[in-house]
Amino acid sequence: MVEVSYYPGCSLHGTAAEYDESIRAVCQALDVVLAELPDWNCCGASSAHFLDDDLAVRLSARNLLLAERQGLDLLIPCAACFQRLKHADRQLRASPGRFADQPYDGRAPIYHVNDFFQRPELLQRIEEKVRRRLTGLAGVPYYGCLSQRPPKVTGAARCENPEAMDDLMRAIGMEVRPWTYKTDCCGGSLAVARTDLVRKLSGDLFAAAQEAGAECIVTDCPMCQANLDMRQTEIEAERGVRYGLPVFYVTELMALALGDGRTARWWKKHFLDPSPLLESKGLL
Amino acid sequence: MADNRQQQVDGGKVGAVMVVGAGIGGMQAALDLANAGFRVTLVEETTAIGGRMAQLDKTFPTNDCSMCTISPKLIEVGKHLNIDVVTGAEVTAVEGEPGSFRVKVLKHPRYVDLDKCNACGDCLEKCPVELPSEFDQDTMARKAIFKRYPQAIPGGMAISKLARPPCVMTCPAHVNCQGYVALIGQGRFAEAYALIRERNPFPAACGRICHHPCEGECNRRELDEAVAVNPLKRFAADWIAARRAQGEDPAPPPVGEIDPAKPRVAVIGGGPAGLTAARNLALKGYPVTLFEAHEKLGGTMLLGVPGYRLPDEALQRDVADVLASGFEVKTGTVLGRDFTLEGLKQQGFEAAFLAIGSTRPVPLARSTDGSPLKGADLDGVLLGLDFLRDVKLGRGPEFQGKVVVIGGGNVAIDVAMSARRQGAGQVEIVCLESRDEMPAHAWEIADAVEENVSINPSWGVREIVGSGGKVSRVALQRCTSVFDADGRFAPQFDGDFSETGADTVIIAVGQRSDFSFLADDDPLWDDQKRSVPADPLTLQTSAGWVFAGGDMVTGPASVVEAVAHGHEAAESIDRYLRGEDLTAGRRKPETAPAPKPERWFPLAGRAAPSRLAPAKREGYAEIEQTLSEEQAVAEGRRCLACGLCSECMECVKACSADAILHDMLPEETTYEAGAVLLAPGFEPFDPAARGEYSYGVSKNVVTSLQFERVLSASGPYQGHVRRPSDHAEPKRIAWIQCVGSRDRQCGNDYCSGVCCMYAIKEAIMAVDHVPGLEATIFYNDIRAFGKGFESYYESAKKQYGVRFRRGLISAVKERQQTGNLVLTYVTESGHSTEEEFDLVVLSVGLRPSASATRLAGELAVGLDEFGFCRTEALAPNRTSKDGFYVAGSFAAPMDIPETVMTASAAAAMAGEALHEARGTRVREKTYPPERDVTGEEPRVGVFVCRCGTNIARVVGVSDVVEYARSLPHVAHVEENLYTCSTDTQRKIIDTILEHRLNRVVVASCTPRTHEPLFQETLREAGLNKHLFEMANIRDQCSWVHFSHPHEATFKAKDLVRMAVARAATLLPLGDVRVAVDQRAIVLGAGLAGMTAALSLADQGFETALVEREPEPGGIARHIHRTLSGADVQSHLAGLIGRVNEHPLIRLYTAAVLEEFSGHVGKFRAAVRRDGRTLEIGGGAVVVATGGEPYQPSEYGYGQSEAVVTQLELEQKLQEPGFAAGLREVVMIQCVGSREEEHPYCSRVCCQEAVKNALAIKETNPDARVFVLFRDVRTYGFDELHYQRAREAGVMFIRFEPDEKPQVTLGGDVRVRVMDDVLGRPVELRPDLVVLSAAVRPHPAAPAVSQALKVPLTADGFFLEAHMKLRPLDFATEGIFLAGLAHAPKSMAESISQAKGAAARAATILSKPFMDRSGIVSEVDQEHCAGCLTCVRLCPYDVPQINEEGVAYIEPASCQGCGLCASVCPRKAIATRHYRDEQLISKIDVLFGEPWFETAGEGVAGAGGEG
Repeated sequence: MVEVSYYPGCSLHGTAAEYDESIRAVCQALDVVLAELPDWNCCGASSAHFLDDDLAVRLSARNLLLAERQGLDLLIPCAACFQRLKHADRQLRASPGRFADQPYDGRAPIYHVNDFFQRPELLQRIEEKVRRRLTGLAGVPYYGCLSQRPPKVTGAARCENPEAMDDLMRAIGMEVRPWTYKTDCCGGSLAVARTDLVRKLSGDLFAAAQEAGAECIVTDCPMCQANLDMRQTEIEAERGVRYGLPVFYVTELMALALGDGRTARWWKKHFLDPSPLLESKGLL
Repeated sequence: MADNRQQQVDGGKVGAVMVVGAGIGGMQAALDLANAGFRVTLVEETTAIGGRMAQLDKTFPTNDCSMCTISPKLIEVGKHLNIDVVTGAEVTAVEGEPGSFRVKVLKHPRYVDLDKCNACGDCLEKCPVELPSEFDQDTMARKAIFKRYPQAIPGGMAISKLARPPCVMTCPAHVNCQGYVALIGQGRFAEAYALIRERNPFPAACGRICHHPCEGECNRRELDEAVAVNPLKRFAADWIAARRAQGEDPAPPPVGEIDPAKPRVAVIGGGPAGLTAARNLALKGYPVTLFEAHEKLGGTMLLGVPGYRLPDEALQRDVADVLASGFEVKTGTVLGRDFTLEGLKQQGFEAAFLAIGSTRPVPLARSTDGSPLKGADLDGVLLGLDFLRDVKLGRGPEFQGKVVVIGGGNVAIDVAMSARRQGAGQVEIVCLESRDEMPAHAWEIADAVEENVSINPSWGVREIVGSGGKVSRVALQRCTSVFDADGRFAPQFDGDFSETGADTVIIAVGQRSDFSFLADDDPLWDDQKRSVPADPLTLQTSAGWVFAGGDMVTGPASVVEAVAHGHEAAESIDRYLRGEDLTAGRRKPETAPAPKPERWFPLAGRAAPSRLAPAKREGYAEIEQTLSEEQAVAEGRRCLACGLCSECMECVKACSADAILHDMLPEETTYEAGAVLLAPGFEPFDPAARGEYSYGVSKNVVTSLQFERVLSASGPYQGHVRRPSDHAEPKRIAWIQCVGSRDRQCGNDYCSGVCCMYAIKEAIMAVDHVPGLEATIFYNDIRAFGKGFESYYESAKKQYGVRFRRGLISAVKERQQTGNLVLTYVTESGHSTEEEFDLVVLSVGLRPSASATRLAGELAVGLDEFGFCRTEALAPNRTSKDGFYVAGSFAAPMDIPETVMTASAAAAMAGEALHEARGTRVREKTYPPERDVTGEEPRVGVFVCRCGTNIARVVGVSDVVEYARSLPHVAHVEENLYTCSTDTQRKIIDTILEHRLNRVVVASCTPRTHEPLFQETLREAGLNKHLFEMANIRDQCSWVHFSHPHEATFKAKDLVRMAVARAATLLPLGDVRVAVDQRAIVLGAGLAGMTAALSLADQGFETALVEREPEPGGIARHIHRTLSGADVQSHLAGLIGRVNEHPLIRLYTAAVLEEFSGHVGKFRAAVRRDGRTLEIGGGAVVVATGGEPYQPSEYGYGQSEAVVTQLELEQKLQEPGFAAGLREVVMIQCVGSREEEHPYCSRVCCQEAVKNALAIKETNPDARVFVLFRDVRTYGFDELHYQRAREAGVMFIRFEPDEKPQVTLGGDVRVRVMDDVLGRPVELRPDLVVLSAAVRPHPAAPAVSQALKVPLTADGFFLEAHMKLRPLDFATEGIFLAGLAHAPKSMAESISQAKGAAARAATILSKPFMDRSGIVSEVDQEHCAGCLTCVRLCPYDVPQINEEGVAYIEPASCQGCGLCASVCPRKAIATRHYRDEQLISKIDVLFGEPWFETAGEGVAGAGGEG
């Protein structure tokens, strides 16, 4: 049994509920116990860190101190939360007294979803427990930027060409299509201000994914998922092309492969219903 | 060969040097040292010398073929008597003191005996394992046995081998899975079959039913799925069967030669264990009798496996092959009934192997409540094994209704599926275990389910209930657990009851051996264990002569485990009968299997054999089918070759020279060395670390070194420019510069110095290969700073149309459908644009190799922050450790000529340290006196080589031999397997003596590599080495005409006839011996000249140092510090002091060279000084006459004090307070450089500017300093100072050459410059304008050039013999070059060159005399008209018109090129050994003329018969 502290952040309690549920389902199947941080608070992404870096660090620092009290590794599924807490971790280590009035050791590693499940023991467990290999389902892994960059904050070893999610997809039998857009920006942070740019950036990703022979896009960032899933019809209309690429959370597909029975209710939360694709592959 | 081991000289210094790394640097250093009287051990990590240079296609800036240039050096090193080349080796430790080290070298096994291997290549074709070729940077494959590259020295093969792969290690019988899989991947099915059969006599049977643990361990699972190892085995077996059905047998079974005198062996049991043991023993010649209880052989394979899994026909094929080995079989003979062990002994059997299997079914005895089971004797209750046996023997019962099978193992499944085939309408399996716990293999359960067998798990049988004495139903009770906590069988049941109807019940719950032949008190029997115990290693029983194995020892197990026992038993019995130790060497230490190779593999799904659909399964038709040939080959190629070499032994079979030694072990050797020279080279930066370039993701993104291989004729596309994804010819190629250089993010802040030039070269070559190709180079600065580089860069732009675009590319994106690559960049007009390319080449930087870092750690040699060897600014080849010197790119990134210079420099330093011990460790070869053959009739011996099968496979060698016998003058002809092998050499010597041969012709391979070897042989036989001729019937016949054997043979005869004809005309030639004046002359006493003189003097040579100026010191007198801060003036003062004091140096200042004459070994200089002329003699000369700073005429220089040069600024900065008073300074670069009239880059000005700018900023941070530049060329580690300058606030503004800065003087100084980045002019108001003025050749250079007859370049600098490999030599032997006289360069480079030139000179001065080749031109003075044609043409300026008005050619200077002989209008010049008649004789016989009648005069004994 593996026990890990869990910081869901606001997205996973809202727009990305299916991400949260699928992570829980996967953890259950893999015998991983999620210990949700008691009384966690906002990580300070978006509003706080644009306006007041000190405040943003303090917000995340509080969460880190809570996690340190739990004494476990920390899993943060939201890429923005992950990056904020990693940033705070760096700041806390650099100037311990500045952001908190209690000591901070920072012993616990902080994981994002792809790196967490790609730990060898878990990867092996996934391979052992897969009930239904998603053979014949071709997708591209899309990491986005926040979980990877800047590498000195995220600690990503190969921020330009990460492979953790590729490994997870392979472990559940998917075909990983090679493409060179794994960490290109989807425009998520301009989702409100400059939708024209978002449509350009996300549209380029769809075009590249389609060219790569993918039938779906697989991600582990709630902003990317929302952005790509929500905008696709709009972009298709604007460009006059059809992509029809469902955007999955990697954990949704892992749960499917691990034989979880609750997947159907997640598909309903997608803007582009992935069921027809999965049905055509005999996976539903 | 005499080992000249004198006593160690004063101070105990050892006259030997260890050179680590055999790239071009290591080779040069080794040659310089060995030629100067030191013994050299050259240690190389890979299997061949040559290093990185051998991998390159062409070299810049001359576009010479890299391989052609390096190849003669390879040969020179390889054959040098005083260089011991140790390849595949690494230095592990060094002990001792400078002057006397002991160096430990670990030599990894090569698995090939270099003394025997003739590099014929026969093994290469047979090796089935393909691996990525390191030499070709993975752009193509090589075999597991390989030669690093075609021209490699040592020329012998090597084998790459790791631990055994997991498949082989896991297989109980250790079948060579990797080997046969690889052979199948190569389409070599017969060899694959034979290889399987060695360790598994049942390929057809096991290929169907083996539980294949190999696949369970296959490393490929980490990638996708295991290789289908077992289906491939079956494929090989079935392929052979198909061939045999057609009457062919490509793999006949091995047959034993039975020796009736050997002891007789009995084998009891005809199952897999017994058959294996019987076969192995028969193959060893033992008379073996096998006893089998049943009528047919096969054991469990026959009786226990249903036909739909293993048809009897397939098994009998295997059995037939086994029987072919030649043992006797007695079937239907039961132990205990028909014979006894004791009886066998009495019949004379001396050993017996018991392998009776476990064929007895175990009945179900107990009910779930523990009482004896009721109903087991009812009609309709059968036992599983009996049932299967009856079915197989054709007497199986026919069923109706429902069959219930009790049991969860494989037998139960087989029973269930067989029951269905026997007519059962419904089949149900009931077992104790839960579905997950069922012991049957998952795939077998799936088979049964597919056929509608229902599985009813977790039930125990309470009772079999009957009606009317016949079964009617089975009463069941729920089983909650089968095993207790300790894993023992202890079923637990709860209160849940059930029942199932049954017409037949078949019990398949276990099996055991039938030991009824043994009495309870038989010593073999262990009553407690209820078995026959046997030693687990040897299988020997307590009876000694009886061995036991297979299921009867292990309990029911797999076929392959039984086979394994068969092997072990045969081995034990053989040892037992020969009275040997049964255990010796059999306990193998546990070793880890080879891991999955760490490289990229394409994913590929496993081949699935087709299967008969359940509806189509009639009777016992086989369900699973054999793989198709295409499937099998593709599947074979999925193997990752984890162990590299698969040990399939195909190479051993192919090698006629017995050179392959698969069990070679590592060796550690300690060498004595007075000094250690490190030249481990560099490693290309791995661009996978810069993920944005998609390297490793997009196939069409390659590194520059990979592109070198693409360009190379020996590369993956034979020199055609192709791209990897689709092998299409690219039309648009982009180079991205600075990948892994000048990059703080990856920690390589330095500039790699060579990439700009190699990218330009690659672009030029690509355009040259593909007309119309668009080549684009994306760069930061073009650093074309070397000699001739700038004009090369210009020609790339103008002549080849290469596009240069300034700017950093941030990402490479792939178009997945086309494989094209999209680059985004900012155009000159400032817009972001996307451009598509077919191929992207990443110009990867240089970094120290991992092994160099390890080595430095072991030896405690200091490294810098990047891992390069740490050196001092003005001692560039000295490491932090005394007695250790560094050469080449381990010291800093550098190109080939720099590497060669530093290598010679390091050699000089070792020579300085060890000069007292010079000559103490050298080997000299002595030869028997030469026989005088004058006047003898030519007696030609012809040796025709088969080269293994390399020549013989195509050329009819015996035909050629017979033909040669018919040729005139031929006294002896023979055919050799390998003419170059050591034994053949000895035989040739004997033959020469025996037949009194006076000419020798070898018809084999190329004289390029082998002529020196055969000439040696002649000398050892007392013949002059020039009485030898070669015919290249390999390269010229069998290689190029391999598909035309008849014509190739014809041509071979022509070549041999020509060779014989010339041989008959050959004359003995003596070498020219030249006495050496062991003193040196150095011209110029600047930094370079003084350094060279000191090095020569420190190496023990008297040196005259001639300086034109009244003071020594040259330009260095005006320089105070280097860019890295070293104090130049104190260094210079130290040099001058030492020069003045050194007893072996005589310094002549204010002395001008007047006249110069002589030749190598004996030069004479007339020097004018104080109105008198002095004569100075020496055997070698170093030209270090320097250069001078350009006095600018541009930018108002000389019109205002506000305009100065960098040198002047440096002088001013010495004044206290000068820098503090500066407000704004503008520096202008490239003044007098990179212009039409002076196209070269002065190389040092950028560093000067950065140095002075930093000096200003350091004292006066508020001063504004602008540097107006074209490209900042701070190459190497100077890049760090450029970085520092930018951080310090120095502003760099780029200008275009056609928009030079405008300087306005008068009142305020104004400088106006068009800023490239802003796109608008900028006006600056400096108080000082500093011009970075060019370096010019010394004005005296033309005079020196004329006097010494050595050439100058168009720029006026001295021209070296070869830009790449002879940068310190002139074409005229004995004259060397160093410092600014060669080209602009830094002080460190001058110092390195000066030392290097001293080392080059030492190769001459170290000997009292030198032998020069006798192949020289000579003038027939009577015919010479003195027309000067030869004088004008000779590239070495050797011919002179003498007092008699005719040409004279000094033999000591002549290079024997023959140009003069070919142009002489009066045919007054002949080149020895290549006289007209010697060449015409070949042409004559080629065209059928009776050459022997027209042979010219002066040919010794060339008369004779027709």
